[in-house]
Amino acid sequence: MSVETHAHHEHPDVVGSRNRLGVILLLVADIAFALSMVFVYFYLRGQNVNDMWLPAATADHPAIEPLSAGPGWTVTAIAAFGLLAHMYGLKGARAHNQTQLKLGSLVAFVASVIAIGYQYNTISSAPFTFSDGAYVSCFYMFAFLNMVHLLLTLFISFGNWNRARLGLYVENFWHVDIVRIWWIWMVVSSLLGAFSLSYP
Amino acid sequence: MTDLMPPKNPQWWKRSDVKKTFILWIICTAVIGYVGVEFHVRNLVDPASETMSSIISLMRMFTWAAAPVAGLVTAMSLTVLTSKRHYGDNPPAEADHEIRNSPKAAAVWIVISGLLCLFALIGGLVVLEQENEGVLNTQAIQVDVTGQQWLWNFDYANGARSEDLYLPVNKPVVFHITSVDVKHSFWVVQMGIKMDANPGYTTETAVTPNKIGVFDVRCAELCGLLHAYMQTKVHIVSQADYDAWLSAHAAMEAGA
Amino acid sequence: MTTLTQHTSAAPGKSIIEKLNVFTALALGVISAIVVWRLSLALLPQDSEEVRLFSREDKITLLSMCAWFIGFMTGIGALVGPMRWVMGKDLSHDENMFLAGENMGPKRYLRYTTDHKVVGIQYLFITILIFFLGGGLAMLIRTNLGTPEGGWLHAQAYNSIVGTHGILMIVGTIIMVTGPFGNFIMPIMIGARDMAFPRLNALSFWLIVAAAVPLIWGQFIGGITTGWSAYNPLAGQAPLGMDGYIMYICIFAISTMVAGANITTTVVKMRAKGMTWNRTPIFIYGVVASVALALPAFPVFFLSQILSAFDRALDTSFYNTAGGGSGWLYENLFWIMGHPEVYVILIPAVAALMEMAPVFTRRPLFSFNIAVLGIAGISGLSVLVWAHHMYISGWAPLLNAPFMLTTELISIPTGMLFLVLIGTLWRGRIWMTMPLMSIFALLWNFMIGGVTGIYLSDVPADAFLHGSMYVTAHFHYTLMGAGLTGALAALVYWFPKMTGRMFDKTLSWIAFWMVQIGFNVAFVGMFMVGLAGQPRRVESYAPTFSTANLVTTIGAYTIMIGMLVLLHGVITSARNGVKAPKNPWQAKTLEWTVDYPIPLENFDVLPVVTTDPYGYGKAKS
Repeated sequence: MSVETHAHHEHPDVVGSRNRLGVILLLVADIAFALSMVFVYFYLRGQNVNDMWLPAATADHPAIEPLSAGPGWTVTAIAAFGLLAHMYGLKGARAHNQTQLKLGSLVAFVASVIAIGYQYNTISSAPFTFSDGAYVSCFYMFAFLNMVHLLLTLFISFGNWNRARLGLYVENFWHVDIVRIWWIWMVVSSLLGAFSLSYP
Repeated sequence: MTDLMPPKNPQWWKRSDVKKTFILWIICTAVIGYVGVEFHVRNLVDPASETMSSIISLMRMFTWAAAPVAGLVTAMSLTVLTSKRHYGDNPPAEADHEIRNSPKAAAVWIVISGLLCLFALIGGLVVLEQENEGVLNTQAIQVDVTGQQWLWNFDYANGARSEDLYLPVNKPVVFHITSVDVKHSFWVVQMGIKMDANPGYTTETAVTPNKIGVFDVRCAELCGLLHAYMQTKVHIVSQADYDAWLSAHAAMEAGA
Repeated sequence: MTTLTQHTSAAPGKSIIEKLNVFTALALGVISAIVVWRLSLALLPQDSEEVRLFSREDKITLLSMCAWFIGFMTGIGALVGPMRWVMGKDLSHDENMFLAGENMGPKRYLRYTTDHKVVGIQYLFITILIFFLGGGLAMLIRTNLGTPEGGWLHAQAYNSIVGTHGILMIVGTIIMVTGPFGNFIMPIMIGARDMAFPRLNALSFWLIVAAAVPLIWGQFIGGITTGWSAYNPLAGQAPLGMDGYIMYICIFAISTMVAGANITTTVVKMRAKGMTWNRTPIFIYGVVASVALALPAFPVFFLSQILSAFDRALDTSFYNTAGGGSGWLYENLFWIMGHPEVYVILIPAVAALMEMAPVFTRRPLFSFNIAVLGIAGISGLSVLVWAHHMYISGWAPLLNAPFMLTTELISIPTGMLFLVLIGTLWRGRIWMTMPLMSIFALLWNFMIGGVTGIYLSDVPADAFLHGSMYVTAHFHYTLMGAGLTGALAALVYWFPKMTGRMFDKTLSWIAFWMVQIGFNVAFVGMFMVGLAGQPRRVESYAPTFSTANLVTTIGAYTIMIGMLVLLHGVITSARNGVKAPKNPWQAKTLEWTVDYPIPLENFDVLPVVTTDPYGYGKAKS
């Protein structure tokens, strides 16, 4: 969404629709990436090589199931809230209400910050180490996917809010529209992880 | 515009280039089929099992099935190449036609390639089915094959263990294959069987050796430093020799 | 179009954009790598006794390589655009023109230049470099295999050379058509002023440069001893050089995704007025099919390597069976990418020859629709055939029959490509040039590659052939005999447009015949040893294989000489070849309507297209 051609005389709608397609195509790649993670999860779960899918219970952590999917769903919920806030802002932009746009963008940005904090906490407080079996490996895989996506979301939603604040979206706001596509994918990708982890 | 033949000459098969191509096609098909089959059969190892023999006849069959198509492409290429060629820095005159397609030719081409595809599939499935049944044979000799960097271990039901494989002739055998470190591939060359040795899994393959002699076992999956040297021999012997070898080895293992 | 510099804002001193170039990138990359290396060496805790694989060194290596990558990309200026977007200070028109390399001279080739023609030349340069290195490694392999006992190279070095040759050539062949010609020629061919996202275009090129360093780095820390497929768990126990491979693949995968989104968007959104889909040149279809196929395929490869890095550096258990991982998982991930990838290589090369066929036979392309259908059919089926690489892995014997079906089905759309090429040659006026002969060479080589592919697609026959030299010969016939042949023809064909000079005819003929004859000698020999039972990737072999191996080695040297002649041709023709007219081949696609040197934005007035570019034949003249 940060890209414009140097043929500056083109109509913003033309540039907007081109950027929209470009972002969707990049998302195709990211979707393939996330879906292959789901494949990894269910493949390893089905194989259960050496009976090492779930870690054996120890004195430190008797069972890991209660912890498994909860954080994933919470991050998804926070991301969904961010998406709603962003859409509220987009609606404002459509209605030429700049205040609503700024407010929505700001709240979305804050949501991404909260989600990152929460996700970081989940990773650092997990009651197992990397070498505790295939399920645990997959737990970290999805957690890191979320983390990378959330950091991108942080970057994008901050930029979006900042640009809204500077009044760059008064005349045309296709950037805001494309950021919404990213937010939707942020929610869906997080959902994919949470969904998978719900089947330990 | 969509016709293969220009209107002034409706009988396309009477064109000289078509006739030439037809003759070349027959010659090319015969040459490609013959050379292709001989190339494969002469270079392939001598079979030491029915499995390998059927692989060889499959390749013979596929080569003859592919020969007419390959022959046609070659014949048309040769006709074009032996027609008037233009050298020079400027283009030759434009062609005397503007044929853009020929639905008939395309349809024939696609139907034939579809049929050849079906033929190859059926040929493969028939042989595949025979092989799959072999694995289920409980009467067969069962040998556990373990790959490790960079040698093979063979364990027999009576406790015998060896780094060379000994088997009786004309007896079905089922291999249960695994690995202790990285992925290897158990290839009994002259018997036409190959199955990966995967750490954490056991895979199966089956064969019935039908020739007395010494044959090759090689690793067919890059497995580290000495992959090239990860090979051993399989000795196919008579039933009596096999029994003697087996009990001697079992005793050795027990004594060790 | 180019008179806009008068608006230049009076900015005092040089802005950050003007300062960045490849030297600042190298400096920042090296400094970041060294700093992170020293820091992680000092700060990372020792491995505990419990870990299965010692991972501290892998962590240090991977972190340093990441630091190199980020430092290099920052230093070249990849972050300028995104940062300016966040700050709300979008690049001005003048800044964009500066980035496009307006009035900059040769220096623009060393910068983050967005002009697609600059990127195309940069890609051409790096493709040649990759082939030079990969070819050199191939010669080392063949020299070592000239005698049965090998031994000229140490086994570890030999394995590493095999792996590096493989991955260099895979990357080289992936970019050999879509990189130089997809970037330089494609936008002009569709009548566009530039790519849809010029900065992403520069990004995709410089990512490949950034990726090269970890690969070379890896050679000095143990090498890539696993073959290009880097199967786990072998890769898990491989030396630190493996981390170089992982980084190389990850960065290259990003480059491929970025290029895929960019090229596809350009073609979908920016074709000239009147260029409907049935007037779009077939080469464009080939390029788009290739990059669009890479879009869903390469992320899977990317993931497979990230998980490999996790296993090595964090001791996780994705592929490590002791902890519940599975080697079959790796194989699946790898080949889900790996099979579409061979068509990513092949399709644009064949499409380039389809583009040239009408030009050198002076007749219309035969069956444009079938050509499009063939390309689409191959692309669609190619994502459903990956497990034919795993027939004998034992992962799912029941799936062997269905995958045999899909694999053999792919011969139908492949046959369509043959039909189009042979149909176009038929009754054409043969203009004897190196590109024209390349069409015949492709038909011959691809026919051998295709027929041997039928044996390999057959499960029982594959049980004998898999993992043998036969497979190696087969895929060299498809990727090199067909793919590279198309790319070399494209080089000679578009050379006048890219350099303003004709490619030396004599040299192109000498190179063509040496490469093609050497190629067929080399790989027929390789088929022979494969049938006789020689496994792939071995540094020594039984004496029975020695004659055919020697034949292969002799063939390989012939290819090398031919390639060096070609390289000599590229250099001398670009320097002092005959000046090329605007349209030396009298072709009808749009790139031949612009003069050399091509202006920055290609067209003063955007062209309007009224017919397809294949209107040859008497009725039209």
